[in-house]
Amino acid sequence: MTESDIIHPLHGRTPLPCPRDVTAPEGFEAQELHDPFEALMGPLFERVNADGSRVAAFVVDDRHVNADGGLHDGMMMTLADAFLGGAAWRGTGGKPCVTMSLQASFLGEAKAGDVVEIRTKVEKQTRSVMFVSAALTVAGEPLMSATSLWKVLGER
Amino acid sequence: MTAEPFPAGFAQVQTQGFGGFAGPVMGGADAKGPLFLMDIATQHLNGADRLHGGMMMSLMSIVMGEVASATAAGKDAGAKTRALSLNCDFVSAGETGERIEGRAVITRATRSVMFISGTLSVGARVLMTATGVFAIKGSAE
Repeated sequence: MTESDIIHPLHGRTPLPCPRDVTAPEGFEAQELHDPFEALMGPLFERVNADGSRVAAFVVDDRHVNADGGLHDGMMMTLADAFLGGAAWRGTGGKPCVTMSLQASFLGEAKAGDVVEIRTKVEKQTRSVMFVSAALTVAGEPLMSATSLWKVLGER
Repeated sequence: MTAEPFPAGFAQVQTQGFGGFAGPVMGGADAKGPLFLMDIATQHLNGADRLHGGMMMSLMSIVMGEVASATAAGKDAGAKTRALSLNCDFVSAGETGERIEGRAVITRATRSVMFISGTLSVGARVLMTATGVFAIKGSAE
C-alpha cells in the first residue's frame, strides 16, 4: 500500500477554519485541520519533499507565547503531538493511534515571527505500538526534541 | 451546558498569550495544596471529540510551571524557572464538560534545578501523570 492509498477517517469532512490568516512560509502549504484545538492555534503548514520525506512548519504569533514573549512549552508540545500523531498514523497505513507517552526536552527558545520546523521519524513499529521521535528547530537551531509512544487502536 | 462556578479564591493564571488563549486555567488552593482547574470546552478537543493531547500537555506544563515559579519565588523573590524536560503519560481521555483538577509537587529542589511531579484528574479518574525538570535562575544571575 502506498501512502496515497491511505484515506484519513476525517477525509471529506469540511476542514476547520483558523482564527488568523497567516502567510505560508516559502515552499510550504497549509494543512487541512480537523482537530479543533489545532485549528484554534493554527494554521499548520507542511511540505512533502521529492523523496517523500515531510517537513512541517509553524509561524509563532502572540497567541503562542508566554508573558516573557517566548514560545510556550505547551505550544511546542502541541506541535509535536500533532505531527508525531500524523507520522504514527501514516506508519500504520492509516490506523487510528492515540498518544500513550511523550517526553520533551526544551533545547532553545523562539519568539513571535519565528518559523518553527518539525521533522518526525518512526523509530520502531510493532503491531500495537508506534515509537516516533520529533525534532523542532528554528533557523536550523534546536528548539525541542521529543520521543513518543502511540497505541494502535484495536491491535494487541 | 452551564459549568459550575469555580470555588471562591480561584483566579485565572497565565492570562496573557498562550495561557489565556488555550485555557482559561484557574489557580487556587485547597486543604491538599495548590490546585488548578480547567473545564474542557469544544475548542480544546481533537478530531475524535476527546481532549487534545497537546492541550492536556499544555495544562500540565502550566500547572507545573506555576508551582515551580511560586516555589522558586518563595525562596528568592526575583527567581525565574523554565522547563528543561517534561515526561507525560496519557492515562485516560478527557471529554467535553469535564472539570480537570491539576496538581504538582516538588520532589526535590536544589539551588539550580527542581524535580516536579504532576497529575491531572477528573474526579477519581487520572488523565495524565508527568514528571518535569525545571531550571532555576536566581535574581542575582
